[in-house]
Order: sequence, then structure tokens, then C-alpha cells
Amino acid sequence: MLHFIIILALAAAFAAIPAFFPWLAFVFTLVLAKGFAALGVAILLRAGLISIGHALFYAVGAYTVGFLSSRAGVNLLIPQLVAAAVVSGLFGLVIGLFMVRYRGIFFAMLNLAVSMVGYTLLSKLYTLTGGTDGLSIATPRVLGMTVGREAFEAILLYGGLGLAFVVGIVVHRYLKSPMGEALPAVESNEIRLEYLGIAVPRVLLFAYVGSAVLAGIGGAIHALIVGHITPDLAYWTTSGQLVLVAVLGGIGGVAGPFIGATFLESVRAAAVIYAPDAWNIIIGAGLLVVIFFLPRGLHGLIERITRKGERP
Amino acid sequence: MKAIVAALSLAMTAAPMLAPAALAQDKPEQLGMGIFTFASGPAAAYGMPGRNAAELMIEQINADGGIGGVPVAPTYVDEAQGGEGVVSEFRRLAGDGSTDIMVAALSSGNCMALAPIADQLEMPMVTWNCDTHQLFLNAEHPYVFRPNSSTVPEFVAYAAYAAQKAPDATRIAIINPDYAFGHDAAAIFTAAMKAFNPNAEVVVELFPKLGTQSFNTEISRIAAARPDIIFSNMWGGDLESFARQASARGLFRSSQVILALGESILQRVELPEGVIVGVLGDSFWNAPDAKQEALDFAAAYNEKFGDYPVFPGMKMANTILVVKTAYEAAMEANGGTWPTKDEVLAALDGITAETLTGTVTVREDHDGIVDQIVGMTTGGTGTPELAEMVRYPGAAITPPVGADPIEWVSTLTPEFAAELPAPGSLN
Amino acid sequence: MDFLLPMLVDGLAASALIFFIAVGLTLVFSVLRVLNVAHGSFYAVGAYVAVTIGGVVMSAGAPQWLSFPILFLSAALTAALLGPVIERTFIRFTYGKPEAVQILVTFALFLIFEDLQKLVFGVQAYYQDAAVNVLGISDIGGIIYLNYQLLLIALAAAVVVALRVMLHHTRLGKMIVAVVADPEVSATLGIDTRRVYMAAFTIGVFLAALGGALASPNSGVAPGLGAEAIVLGFAVAAIGGLGQIEGAALAAVIVGIARVLAIYYVPQLEPVAPYLVMLAVLLVRPYGLFGAATQRKI
Repeated sequence: MLHFIIILALAAAFAAIPAFFPWLAFVFTLVLAKGFAALGVAILLRAGLISIGHALFYAVGAYTVGFLSSRAGVNLLIPQLVAAAVVSGLFGLVIGLFMVRYRGIFFAMLNLAVSMVGYTLLSKLYTLTGGTDGLSIATPRVLGMTVGREAFEAILLYGGLGLAFVVGIVVHRYLKSPMGEALPAVESNEIRLEYLGIAVPRVLLFAYVGSAVLAGIGGAIHALIVGHITPDLAYWTTSGQLVLVAVLGGIGGVAGPFIGATFLESVRAAAVIYAPDAWNIIIGAGLLVVIFFLPRGLHGLIERITRKGERP
Repeated sequence: MKAIVAALSLAMTAAPMLAPAALAQDKPEQLGMGIFTFASGPAAAYGMPGRNAAELMIEQINADGGIGGVPVAPTYVDEAQGGEGVVSEFRRLAGDGSTDIMVAALSSGNCMALAPIADQLEMPMVTWNCDTHQLFLNAEHPYVFRPNSSTVPEFVAYAAYAAQKAPDATRIAIINPDYAFGHDAAAIFTAAMKAFNPNAEVVVELFPKLGTQSFNTEISRIAAARPDIIFSNMWGGDLESFARQASARGLFRSSQVILALGESILQRVELPEGVIVGVLGDSFWNAPDAKQEALDFAAAYNEKFGDYPVFPGMKMANTILVVKTAYEAAMEANGGTWPTKDEVLAALDGITAETLTGTVTVREDHDGIVDQIVGMTTGGTGTPELAEMVRYPGAAITPPVGADPIEWVSTLTPEFAAELPAPGSLN
Repeated sequence: MDFLLPMLVDGLAASALIFFIAVGLTLVFSVLRVLNVAHGSFYAVGAYVAVTIGGVVMSAGAPQWLSFPILFLSAALTAALLGPVIERTFIRFTYGKPEAVQILVTFALFLIFEDLQKLVFGVQAYYQDAAVNVLGISDIGGIIYLNYQLLLIALAAAVVVALRVMLHHTRLGKMIVAVVADPEVSATLGIDTRRVYMAAFTIGVFLAALGGALASPNSGVAPGLGAEAIVLGFAVAAIGGLGQIEGAALAAVIVGIARVLAIYYVPQLEPVAPYLVMLAVLLVRPYGLFGAATQRKI
């Protein structure tokens, strides 16, 4: 219970701050976008699978919106979001079908390879993707209403926050279900799991598709708030960033990746202003501190507080 | 928790609100200028000269009393942080009231991303480098101005120069960076070469990715194709590596090489004599018709940074001069009071400004008309200089407003090239 | 088919450069079981150190041939300064940890090195090509090659042989092989695994720095070098079967030839050539060319 209250308080703070710093609304919407994608990465991390290629699904979500907006003329928010989730899920299914055979480094490497092929396709398929100049995304209509840009950005931020809550609860339920509980077991002892009659490939495929859908939703929000997308979204450094966000935030709870994203984007926004030449050093050092001293990520801090509260 | 955050936020937002709101007539304390360029990553080789030149130009303007008596206060934004970071910074600078005008950006991709946001936030934006012809092609951007040339006149100029200098050359090799700038340039140069000489054919076309260190396989491939002309619009470290490797392996001896952005490496690589190079516009400070201001600026730059300004630096300096001219014109038009944003926009629309290296006119579609200077390397070292120079009038080689650029290029004829000023006419 | 000879030479020359990136990564993985993202940083640092020392020595008027030993000296210097320190302070805490932790720790180091390089060396490209100039050029099949390119092919082959000799015929090498086979048994037999890990990591840093140093006379050094190197190194190491020196060598040749073929016939595919090769190889052999399935323990 205390845990949920802390999360609620954090979310309230998250919702309140942009009211005082309007330019932060943009940064916070990006936080949500990255948070969704990092949540997807975190699900796989629970099974010990590290994907250095999830930016591909992020990009698929973003380019689905971009394609609908600039090529197909579908300028409606909800259909764009649904399409992004569905298309990235389909990509996740096809790629996942052969990814689930691999573990460890080879899983990481193959995801990297597939995403780099995707990155190249996005750069080369000029007529479809606009090449490296990318695609521009117009402000879509929301529930049949034409909205101004400012209103739309508010809808994205607060609607996105609401969506994060709903998705967070769904993912939380999933992680507590047998399918979800099987994930850590894959990491600790896969064979024992098989002896228990659990089909590990199915468990992993479900997780992989789910994580692709989450990344796709994140990518769609990214495309809508930035208004312009380029193939860099699929580059391996974006994937690395998503893993970084997931680990910074901690994979122990669904709020972790969102906390990690808030932390990273805030540090980045500050570093760009105050230490533009050393921002990689700051992030790198922060990452080392978290890994060595907070092995459960920033979310681990909440876990500590709640444990104290519930078990005095 | 929430209360603390709210109190903190209030305290922080209150500070700027205490500052007196600048009325149109009051001169502000300073003119905030957001300057977007690459300060890190591989593109910094091209971006840092731009930043250095901006520093120097603003220093000189402020020493001279600023723009209309108001000092310029620059904020530099590193484009290497990627699209969303650049957009985020643009929004922050536009939103916190610190910035009145943006000079952005180096990368075409970033310009394309920022232009709609400039319109949305009603923030005047003057582009200093991005030269994709796509910028104003299918979109009107009321708040965006480009007092520089675009890819079409830039690469038509090289084709014209090649047609004039080497009329018998037909076998063309192209090696450009693998992104829109490289592909657009290849398409424009090829179309123009074919328009000027129907027998021209592309025998090999390579697009190595940005940041490639070793071009040795590409060099072998080009050599194997036995081209008459080798065209490249690579830049930065890529161009430097390619030029060194190609030079060592004899490519410059067997073919006429065109390095579209070659002026930017003259001080770093000993290019052999006779390589066709240029500056994507007229921003060469050491042209025979150079103004004293350009020579002075180059000398001051050399004093401050230890080398002479390459053309990205001159482009940046020229662009800031255009902003200055626009503000001064707006003040003149309204009787000497500090101009409103709308007055500055009106002044930028259709402006004709004297720059360090020539004149620029911004058309009604907000695209610039700038001359194109092309020349040949002298083989000399030291102060950068060019031989066989020509200044193609911008108006002659820029497609008219509303024309599809590539279609316009294909309507060109051999006579068109023959009627342009001849190589060497500037010397 | 008139391109056959140049394609062969280009392919081997490209393979040599790729091999130098991948070999140290492979060695470190085989001993420490750590996939070292910071390997790309060591590659870049080696290159920067080489051009810096080379620049100082050459501008002091030293004879041109001296630029060769400088390349090796720079790599050794980089390894001696960075190898033991980094292994003791960061890497050793990741032994036996999940791959995600190892990758992220070394990724953090990589990020820190990226900025450090920028702060120390700035953003301009550096060149020190005395070693290329002193060797001259050769005409092979009508195309001019640098003798330096040909020398690199020979050097890459020499490194394969040297590593084999080192691993199988020296005391340190035999200890490394023993630790690779079974660290626990090695420790009970009296092998100081701590020192073996440190030595192996330092050799890995040396090979990375040597790769960077050897590439620098022809390619120069510029920001972004490390990021480019590491992704390619990963792909090649994975194709070879992670932890197999001969595998890395063969993978480097395959990737090198694939890139050259792409440049000659389908230039659009060149950027993805390493990844396509990797996908193809891993589809057929899930643990790479020379890799074997790890034993699954209950």
C-alpha cells in the first residue's frame, strides 16, 4: 500500500512540475516515451535477456505514426497509437519467433544486428521513410476534434501519464502471473522450468512481443511530441540508452523504468545547460554508482522505504 | 513532497517574472541569440569553425556597441545531442524568454525538425548552414529564413565548372556521404552533368557512411572504374581521410577530382594542384574581390584561433551579419525604436544584405540567393588560396520560386553552362 | 571478373583492420567472460596516443622509420597505463555477474572515455602518416596500393601466430588456457587467477590499442572512432564464436570480403554487410563459427 502511495506521490509531482516550467512539459513527455520503451526492455531483463536492439521497435512505432501522418493521411491520435502498438507487436512476433532460441550475449548481438539492418532500411527506403531527413508529423485530431498544438501537448503529457498508469497496472498483473513469474526462472534455471512442464519459448515470445508493443507505444509518443523523426531512433545508441534507463530505474517494479527515464532526461536537460562537455561522464559515473551501490536501481530506494514501513 | 516541489518551482519561476517585461519601444538589456552547431562528435570538425566564427563576430558586434545599441548574448547548443535534444533545447530557449532569435542549424535533418517548431512557437529562426532544397519545397515556414544557398545552385555550380573546364569528360565517379545531403548532391550533380553533356555517364556511385575512417576499398573501386571525373561532397574528418588516402594512392593524378567542400580542409591537407574545390556559396574570405572586412575578419580569426576561417565559419559570420542588418533595417523603418518581433520578421522577408563575402537576398519563399564561388587548388601551402576562380551569379543558377528543383536542373542546356562566367574570370 | 585481384587485396586489407579490432575483444571474453564495450575506447585511445607521440617525435626531426616502433610503443604504453588499473577498479567486480551488468559497467566506462577523449584531444581529426609515406606504394593489377596496407595484412597474420605461440608455449599462456578451461580447478592448482585475469585484460587492452595505433597512419583519428570500432568488433567476435582467436580471424576475413564485395557490386548493402553475415551465420550456427553450446547446468 505504502508503495502505491509513494508511486502516486511521484506521479503527482511529475504532473505538477510542468505546470510551473512549461518547457519541461516536452521533456516530461519524452520521459514517458522512453519510460514505456524501457519498461519493455526491463521485462526482458527480468529473464536475463539484454536487448541492444529495442530501439528498432521504438522506431517502428514512431515510423508507423509518421507514415500514417505524412503518407497515408490518417491524422487521428487514437488510431495512430493503436496502429503503432499493433505494427510493432507484429514486428516483435516475427523477430521474436527466432530470437527466443538465443540466450545471453548472442541474444544481445542478434537484436543489435536486426536493429542495425532496420536502421539502414529506414535510411535507405527514401520514398517510404524520407531517408535521413526523416518524416514530419502533423498535429493529429483527438477524438474527432481539431486541437491546437498547446492543447495537444497537454493531452499527450497527461493522457500519456494516464496510459502509463493503466499499462503499468496491466504489466504488474502480468509480472505476477505464472507467465510473468516464469521470467526470472528462465534466468536462474531454465532446465528446471522445462521439467516443470513450462514451455520456455512461449513464455519468452509472449514477453518479447509485449516488450515490442511497449517500445512501439513509446516510439509513437516520441514521434507525436517531437513532430519529426529520423532513422537515428533505431541506432544502437538509442537501444543502449533504453537499457541504461531500465537499469538506472531498476527492473524490480513497473515504476522503475519511468523513474530511470525521469532521472536520465532531467540530468541530460541540466547537463546540456551546465556541463555540455561532460554529460557522458556524468551519465557514465551515475550508471556506475547505481550498478555498484544500488543494484536494484532507483526503484530499489522505494523498495527499501516500503520494506521498512511494512515490516517494522 | 508535492508541496516542497511546488514551493521550489514557484521560487524558481518567480525570479524571471520579476524582471521588467520588455515593451516594444524599450531597448532590452540584451538580444538573446540561440546558436545551434555541432560542438562534439565527428561533425564538430565542421561545426566548431562555425561556433568560433560566431564567437568572434558577436564579440566584434558587441565591441562596436551591439545591434542598435543592444549587446548580443549568445547561447550555444550542441547539435550532436540528436534530434529530440536539439528540439528540446530550442523549446527551452524559446520558452524561458531568454532568446529572441535562433541561428539554427548546421544539419539539414535538424533544420527540418526545428522549422515547424519555430513556426509553432513563433520564434524567428535564421538558418546558417543547412542547405537541403527540401526545406521550403513543400512547406511554408513563416518564421524561418535561409540567407544562404541550397543544394541545387551549389551542385549545379560544380557541374557547370566541370563542363567548362573539362568538356570532354564523360565518365563520372561519385563518392558522397550516405545521407540526404550526399544523395541529393549526387542526383543534382548527375542531372546537371547530363544536361550539360548528354554523353556523360555515372560509372560508379558510392555512399560510404558518415564517420568512415578508411576509404581504401572505395578508392580501389573508383580507380578500377577509370573515371574522368571524381565528384565528392564529403566533409569534416571523412573528407580529410578520403583526400589523404586518395592522394597517397594516386587518384588525383589519374582523374579530375571535385571536392565540393574542399576549401574547408585546405589548411589541413596538402591537396595537389588542380583539384576543383569550392565553398557552397560565396563564403571564401580570400577571393580576389574580397572586401577589406573579410580580410580583417580572417586576420582577427587567425589571431584568436590560430588558423584562418574555413567557409562554414564565414557562413556563420555572414548569417549573423544578416540578422544584424535585419534588426537595423527594422529600427530604421519604425523610426529608431527597438523593433517588435513582427517588425524583425518583416525586415527579414525580402532582405538584401551585404555580407563579408558578397550580397545575399532572401526571396519571398524565404530562400536565399547567393553567388557560388568555385576554383582550383594551387598546390601551395600556408594561407588558403585558390586559382582559376569564378563567381557564378546566384540568381542565374538558382531555380525560380515554386519550381521543382530537380526538374529545373534537367531543363538546363550546354549553352546555359557556356553562357555562365568562365573559370578564371574572377582572378 | 577483371576486379578479382583488386577485390582480393582490398578484402584482405579490410580484414586485417577488422581483425585488429576484434581480436582483443575475443581474448578478453574468452578469459574473463566479460563482453567489454570499453574495448572501443581503448582502440581510440591507442590511436590518439600513437598520433600524439608520433607527432612529437616526427616534428623533433627524428628519422621516418622510427614511426613504426612508435606505433607498438604507444599500444604498450596505453595497455600498461590503463589495463591493470581498469581491471582492478571496475572489471573485477563484474566477474560472474549477469551479462547485463557487465555490458553496462563497460558501457559506462565507454561513455566516460568518450568525453575524456574530447576534453583531452578536442574534436579535430589528427593525422600522423609518416609510417605510410616511408613505405611507398605498389601497383597491383593497375591499381595503386599502399605498401602499408600490405604490411598490415602480414602483421595481422603474425598476431594470430604470436597469440597461438603465446597461449600454448609460454608459462603465462598455459596459465591463461588453464583458467579458461576451469578457473576453480586452476586456483586449487596454485594458479593466481587474479593475476591471470589482470594479465589477460591488459593484453586485450594492448591488442585494442595496437589496432587503433596501426589504423591511425592511414585513417587518422577523430571523435566517434571508438563507437564505430566496438559495434564492428562485436559483430565479428560473435560471428567467430566469442572467445575463439581463430574464429575471430576467420570472421574478420569473411566480413572483410563481404564488405568489399558489397562495395564493388551492391554499394547500398555495405553498411549492413557485417550484420547480414552475422544473421546468416548465427541462423545456421547459433553459437558462431567456432563456438560450442555452453553446458546447461541444473
